[in-house]
Amino acid sequence: MTVATDIARPRRSLSFGAGALLLGLCFAAACAAPFVLNGYGLYVLTLTGVFALVALGLNLLTGYAGQISLCHAAFFGVGAYATAILTQKAGVPYLLSILAGALFTAAVGAIVAVPAMRLRSLYLAIATLGFGVVLQKIIFEWRSLTNGGGGLALSPPAIAGYELGASGLYFLTLAFVMLGLWGAWNVSRGRTGRALLIVKESEIAAGALGIPAARFKVIAFAISAFYAAVGGGLFAYLVRYIHPENFSVGLSIAFLSMVVIGGLGTIGGSIVGAAFYVIIPELLRGIKDAPGLVFGLLLVIVMVLMPQGLWGLVRRLGRRT
Amino acid sequence: MARLAVENVSVSFGGIHALRDVSFDLESGAIVGLIGPNGAGKSTLLNCISGITRPTGGRVRLDGVVLSTLPPATVAGRGIGRVFQHPELVVELSVRENLMIACHRSLGYGLISELLKLPNVWAAERAAARRVDEVLDRLGLSESADLTIRNLPYGHRKLVDLGRALLMDIRFLLLDEPIAGLNESEVAKLRDLLLRVRRELGLGILVVEHNMPFVSGLCDRLVVLDLGHLIANGPPAKVLRDPKVMASYLGEDA
Repeated sequence: MTVATDIARPRRSLSFGAGALLLGLCFAAACAAPFVLNGYGLYVLTLTGVFALVALGLNLLTGYAGQISLCHAAFFGVGAYATAILTQKAGVPYLLSILAGALFTAAVGAIVAVPAMRLRSLYLAIATLGFGVVLQKIIFEWRSLTNGGGGLALSPPAIAGYELGASGLYFLTLAFVMLGLWGAWNVSRGRTGRALLIVKESEIAAGALGIPAARFKVIAFAISAFYAAVGGGLFAYLVRYIHPENFSVGLSIAFLSMVVIGGLGTIGGSIVGAAFYVIIPELLRGIKDAPGLVFGLLLVIVMVLMPQGLWGLVRRLGRRT
Repeated sequence: MARLAVENVSVSFGGIHALRDVSFDLESGAIVGLIGPNGAGKSTLLNCISGITRPTGGRVRLDGVVLSTLPPATVAGRGIGRVFQHPELVVELSVRENLMIACHRSLGYGLISELLKLPNVWAAERAAARRVDEVLDRLGLSESADLTIRNLPYGHRKLVDLGRALLMDIRFLLLDEPIAGLNESEVAKLRDLLLRVRRELGLGILVVEHNMPFVSGLCDRLVVLDLGHLIANGPPAKVLRDPKVMASYLGEDA
């Protein structure tokens, strides 16, 4: 039995050299950014990092495990509020608050996963949409804790008595993005990532391999909510005023778009997708009257020409070098 | 020596009886063919054994322990491998990566170690990769190890599916139409492979297959189902001459 080798090409991802070069260049550029950009530019870049964290987690859930979530804005919000409340009202140190908030949100994510055991595709999407609305409503109504529709104003964050300025928060976000990238990369190439891929392919096949689909859906939701909540904890102190309206369904759809545009089931694509979603509209501001129109059309063009997402393009370019 | 016992298993789906009071045993080292006309309940029986369908009566036991109340993943963990008629593989991954998925249970590390890629993860992954190499060699797929499933011929995909089951420390293997869609040389190769894993690993194998020459050449024993009833159980030569079996097949042809 010989394989027709001309049609059967081995699977290739980015070569190690090209990948390392790309990552090194991005990291160098990211470290230099605060010294080059003005305040607003730095804010946009920090926001990109925050959204990239959410997209990384969502990509593990949607790209790997095949579960659609329309409540990631709510996870993001729970993380933001938990971090803000812990620091401002309970005096817990900032980093510890982010971690505690993220663990709490991971537990919330595991609860949201319960209907995911029975539902799939659009039905799951609608169920998570409902969860998102409920969580947002809880934040709104729990006035004693969240100040409801009045929102929460936050004083600048501090770590070990040192007040974080805009570049401090930027570097903190960068550190979390690097950590998040590393963790997501490891999971995607480890036992859990492989289990998620087979759960997406077929729950029956997963069962036959000794992989309980239900448990791995819960794990995927929990990890994904953890990532979103870390992003939320950073976001709260980036904008320094949070309001329940920040965390509506529209933002959930934006997160999903970042993942799809970057490339489902790709780690690097999550970062590229978030960057596209945050930075392109900023660059389009110069075009008078029609930035929304141009951005919308760009989304359509990217999806039509690159169904694999932007990361597919990066991969193709990387292979040539 | 392990024994898989199907005891008085019945399954009904809303008034339709897919299986009625079916009983037989499968010992390790035995190859048993499960045959019968379409709709006889063969796949339903495989589903009962692997925990996908819960019997409405009776039970399946492995060395006395009841399997038929356990979820599929637990049944698989107890050493019951299942290969489906159509292989469900992750098409964008390579052959090797698909086989790594089946090492799930033997990789003992937890999520935190995985996130941080601690040294125990490296060691476990290397050990699993070595086992995958052995299975690739056994399947004769070493040269295709890095091809994506998308680029793999159908016959090879079925081998990869079988390879996944072999990576799971199984004691019994359930095969659903293993030669459907294979060419002659692939069928011969599969036959040799099954005989070899039976000899080397002592597996008990239950095969659902329509191709009579293949089944009677491979199996020590045939179990025949017709409309959910077990109508014969014995050596191929005897079973195929059984008037009831001949009638059920003739009935289907007529």
